[in-house]
Amino acid sequence: MSEQTLALLLLLPAALIFTVVLLYPMLNTLYSSLFVQSLTEPYLGTPFVGLKHYADMLHDARFLNALRNTLVYGVITVSGSFLIGVPMALVAHADSRLRWLARVAMLLPWAMPPVFSALIFQWLFNGQYGLINDLLVRLHLVAQPVAFLTSPVLAGLALVVTVIWKTSSFVALIALGGLQGIPQELTEAAEVDGANRVQGFLRVTLPLLGPALAVAFIFRCISAIQVFDIPYALTGGGPTVGQYGATETLGIYIYRTTLEFLDFGYGAALSVALFAVSLAITALYIRFVRGGE
Amino acid sequence: MKTVPLSVRLSKYLGLLLLIVGGTLPLVWIALTSLKTGPELQQFPVQYLPAHPQFGNYARVFSEQPFARFFLNSVVVSGVSTLLCVVVASLAAYALARLKLRGRGLYTTLVVVFSMFPVISLVVPLFKIMRGVNLLNSYPALILPYTALSLPVAILVLIAFFGGIPRDLEAAAMIDGCSRLEALWRVVVPLSAPGIVTASLLVFVNSWNEYLLALSFNTSREMRTIPVGVTFFQGEFAFPWPLISAAIVIAVVPLVLLIVVFQKRFVTGLTAGGVKG
Repeated sequence: MSEQTLALLLLLPAALIFTVVLLYPMLNTLYSSLFVQSLTEPYLGTPFVGLKHYADMLHDARFLNALRNTLVYGVITVSGSFLIGVPMALVAHADSRLRWLARVAMLLPWAMPPVFSALIFQWLFNGQYGLINDLLVRLHLVAQPVAFLTSPVLAGLALVVTVIWKTSSFVALIALGGLQGIPQELTEAAEVDGANRVQGFLRVTLPLLGPALAVAFIFRCISAIQVFDIPYALTGGGPTVGQYGATETLGIYIYRTTLEFLDFGYGAALSVALFAVSLAITALYIRFVRGGE
Repeated sequence: MKTVPLSVRLSKYLGLLLLIVGGTLPLVWIALTSLKTGPELQQFPVQYLPAHPQFGNYARVFSEQPFARFFLNSVVVSGVSTLLCVVVASLAAYALARLKLRGRGLYTTLVVVFSMFPVISLVVPLFKIMRGVNLLNSYPALILPYTALSLPVAILVLIAFFGGIPRDLEAAAMIDGCSRLEALWRVVVPLSAPGIVTASLLVFVNSWNEYLLALSFNTSREMRTIPVGVTFFQGEFAFPWPLISAAIVIAVVPLVLLIVVFQKRFVTGLTAGGVKG
């Protein structure tokens, strides 16, 4: 047997699983998006409508609301996770007897099921008995407990805090891996050269960390675009402002359209749109990785 | 040794303190909540420590919902997914990292693309498939998707580890009369044990935490996994926070143990695989 044949043979099980569980369902979604299929309106039948669902999206105020929410929360949470995650990595990288504890504290949010993170923060942000309200009142920052999850802006804030808590540790882990790959001599040499620590970090460490951070950035963008579990379990997409949910993301809207309103045709089109955006970001990632070789 | 300025040492310890408190406080708070009574939680200002720790809340988690069954379901689904995923990923990663293969770049790119598939886009078609083959409310209904969803990450992590093993060792084994697969089994697999452990940990955590598919495919009470089961403690009018908290603590114990034991493996694994977070 030639090496080529053996290699293809070894790839076969993975290819089979990818085809059945990812590729075929995605193609199926693509196909469904071209037809009407609404279980709550069976009298419509299942006629072929071509790209109509995609055109409809542009005039669907609820979709545009969900898209806007996803982008706004995405930009805030991705930036926030870097602003907190990178310093976290520096702290966890520093020599200390507490280093193992720092690493455990860093890994915990990453390993926590997103649904649990949402439930825990729902309790922390509770409008009557939550710990956050308790601290705010004790510090005299507010006079009365604040109803975080029923005000559109504050629910958004709660969502942002939860997502940043959960995802900073991912950025920190990738950055920590990057830091461990930087020879200590380099950072020490910078200090001998008279660069102070901040300059040393900005001029030596940060540029060397660049590739790791870029990878983390792209993965964070993908997960921000696809976010579902945390907003779904924390706010359920609410509260309603005007007509639509203030924290309803694309993921939640797709879930509602397909599994609650049972509009499989339109839901499939929304799914394809989400997939297309993810794929575009992936293409950037692949170009970046290839560029590095 | 160089003397470190006081300001630097202070900021280091402040940073450590913030990191440790920030990372653990939400979970510590949930652990404290799990030991309180319902009325105790309805006080403001909040009473931080439970007056009389209510360990009975933990017993009630198991009596009010079939939580032992949820736990078993999660263990079986995550365990089998991990095993299946790592075996399949090892074969693929070996081919991609160590064999002469035309089109290697294309195959690796495809693996990266598969890692980006939004789960939400797959729910309906996968639901139809599972219903078609009568697998709804079964372990395979989750094991198959979990294996597929973690496969890219596992393959990428293992490529990084397999790639680091000297080829001479394998060649030597083959000269000694091992077939290529024997060489894989006797030389490459033992040497990449750390990589296999790392990949297994990542797959296990992914599978243990998955919510959307478990919620959609296994709707009967007996087949729920832990993340879904915990949300079913929600009462009709008020959340029974002591019970939810106790359930979360029980569900998180395995993850905490894995983290404490394998913290280094997680760090190297995430770096090697560029894992979706």
